[in-house]
Amino acid sequence: MNFVATYLLGPFGEMIAYPPGVLETVIAGLGNGFLYALVAIGFVIIFKSSSVFNFAQGAMVFFAALNFAAMLKLGVPWYLAGAFSLLVMVVLAFTVERVVLRPLVGQDGLSLFMATIGVSFFIEGFGEALWGGDPKLLKIGLPEDAIFTIDYPWGEALGLDIIIQESDLLAIGVGLVMVLGLYVFFQYSRVGRALRAVADDHTASMSIGIPLNQMWVVVWALSGFTAFVAATVWGTKIQIEPTVINLALKALPVLILGGLTSIPGAVIGGCIIGVSELMFETYWGQPLFGGATTEWFAFVLAAFFLLFRPQGLFGEKIIERV
Amino acid sequence: MATARPEFTGQPEPDTRQVKQDLAEVLLAVEGVTLRFGGVTALTDVSFDIRRGEVRAIIGPNGAGKSSMLNVINGFYHPQEGQVTWKGVTRSQMRPHEAAATGIARTFQNIALFRGMTTIDNIMTGRILKMKAGFLEQMLYWGRAQKEELAHRAEVEKIIDFLEIQAVRNTPVGQLPYGLQKRVELARALAAEPELLLLDEPMAGMNLEEKEDMCRFVLDVNQEFGTTVALIEHDMGVVMDISDRVVVLDYGKKLADGTPDEVRADPAVIEAYLGVSHGGEASQPVLDGANGAQRS
Repeated sequence: MNFVATYLLGPFGEMIAYPPGVLETVIAGLGNGFLYALVAIGFVIIFKSSSVFNFAQGAMVFFAALNFAAMLKLGVPWYLAGAFSLLVMVVLAFTVERVVLRPLVGQDGLSLFMATIGVSFFIEGFGEALWGGDPKLLKIGLPEDAIFTIDYPWGEALGLDIIIQESDLLAIGVGLVMVLGLYVFFQYSRVGRALRAVADDHTASMSIGIPLNQMWVVVWALSGFTAFVAATVWGTKIQIEPTVINLALKALPVLILGGLTSIPGAVIGGCIIGVSELMFETYWGQPLFGGATTEWFAFVLAAFFLLFRPQGLFGEKIIERV
Repeated sequence: MATARPEFTGQPEPDTRQVKQDLAEVLLAVEGVTLRFGGVTALTDVSFDIRRGEVRAIIGPNGAGKSSMLNVINGFYHPQEGQVTWKGVTRSQMRPHEAAATGIARTFQNIALFRGMTTIDNIMTGRILKMKAGFLEQMLYWGRAQKEELAHRAEVEKIIDFLEIQAVRNTPVGQLPYGLQKRVELARALAAEPELLLLDEPMAGMNLEEKEDMCRFVLDVNQEFGTTVALIEHDMGVVMDISDRVVVLDYGKKLADGTPDEVRADPAVIEAYLGVSHGGEASQPVLDGANGAQRS
C-alpha cells in the first residue's frame, strides 16, 4: 500500500494540489517537444519521399548551427551568417545526392541507411575540423527571457503565478509556422506536388515527367532548411557543441510515436514526448528517482509504443505481399 | 508542342486505317536495339517504327521482351546497342522525364498509381509539367497560379467525362476496383496530352465488358485526339480488332511485323504461339479470338 501511495497516488496529489505547476510543466514540455519535432520533420521529409532513413539529420542540425555560430563569432552580422549557413546546407544537399546517394541507386534500404551513418560522422568531423569543437554561442537576439506571469496585468487578473520561458514559446511558434508552411508547400506548389507523387510511387512519377535526381536534391535541401531552422531555435537554449547530435537523437522516439511518414505526426509525437518526459521528471523523477529521467524516459516510452503500434500514430501501415 | 484536341462530335469517323499507315510520317523509330541485363539478353537487334496517328500493337508470348521494349522507348531502360529516334531526334539514351516532357505518356502492366491520392489528384499530377506559375504565386494561390489551376482543373474534368469516371472523382484510388484503376491510369496519361501513348497490357485482368469499354476508349483517343498509341496486349481478339499494325516479338527478337492479317497468317508467328505440330496430320492452327499467349 505504501508503494501505491508513494509512486502512483502521490504525484497526482501534487498535481491537484497546485494546478499552475502542471501548466508550467506542460508549456515547458511543449517547448522541448517542438524542438524535437523540428529535427524529426527533417527525417520525415527525406524518409517519406525516398525511403531513406537519414541518420545524419542530427549531424545536419549541428552543422547548420556550427556554421551559423562560427560566422557570428567572426563578427559577421546575423543575417549574413544565417544566409551563409543556409547556403552551406543547400550545397551539402547537392553533394550528398551526387556523391553518396546517386551511386547507391537501387540498393537495399539498409545500405543507404549505413551510408547516412557515414555522412553523419563525416559532417561532424568536417564541422569540427573547420571551426573547432569548443562550445559556441548561437545568440541572434531571439527572445529567451523568463516571463513571470504575475508581473503582467493578465497574470494578476487570473491569479496565475508561473514562469514561462520565451524560448519555449518561440519553439512552439516556429514549429507551428513550419508545419503550416510545409503543408502549403506540399499541397499547392508544383515541386511539392511532385514530391508527394514521388513519395507515393517512384515509377509512376518518373512516367509523368518528374526527374527523380532533382527531387532528391530538393528533399535534402528541404531537410537541410529544417535543420537550419531547428539549429537557430535550439541556439536559444543550448550551446553549440558536438553533443547536440546526441540530443537530436531524441527525434527517434518522436518518430516512433508519430510515424515515419507524417509531418503532423512528427509534431504530435514531439509534443507527447516533450510533455510526458517533463511531467515524469517533475513529478516522479526528481522527488522519487533522483532526477535525470529525461535521458531515458522518451526511449522507454517509444519501446512500449512499438509493442502496440509499430507504424506510429500517423504512419502508414506497411503490408508486404508475400 | 501540345496539339489542340478536336472537339468531340459524337459522329463515327470513317475508317482511315490503310491510308494512315501508308502516308503518315514516322513518329518513332527503333533501330537495332539490344538490351542486356547482366548475362541475360532481353532484346536482340530489334527494329521497327511507329507512325503518327496509328495504333501499333506489340505482341508476343510471355517473356518475349515486350515490356522491356516499352521501357526502352520511354527511357526506363537504356539499351546497350541501337538507338531510338523520337520525332526526328536520335538518342542512345532517353531519360523518363525527358520522354514525358517531349510527349510520351504511358501506363503500366502492374498499375502504378499514386495510391494515397484521389482520382482527381492522380489525374492532376499528369499535368505537372504544364504548370508554369512561379513558386511564390503557387504558395499564395494568387494571380497566375489561380487561373492556371482552374484551367488545369477544367482540362482534367474533360478527361474524367471522356473516360466516364465522374462517380469516383474524389475516391482514393487505392479503394477503386481494378478495372477503374486501369482507367484512372489511362486518364493520368491522357492528362499530359501526349503525342505517343504507351499502354502496357491495358486490358489485362479485365472482364469482357471492361475490355470492350477500354477498347472503345483507346480507339476514341486515337481517332478524336489523334494520339498515336502503342500497346502491348495478350488478347488476340482485341489486338486484331483495334490495331493498324502489329509487331511480334519472341525471345527478344522480332519475329514479324505488318498488318493484323499479315501477322496472323505468318507461319513463324503461329509456331511461336501454338508450337509446331509434330503429329504429322494435325490441322493448321489458326490464331484467332481469345486463344491468348500460350506457348506449348
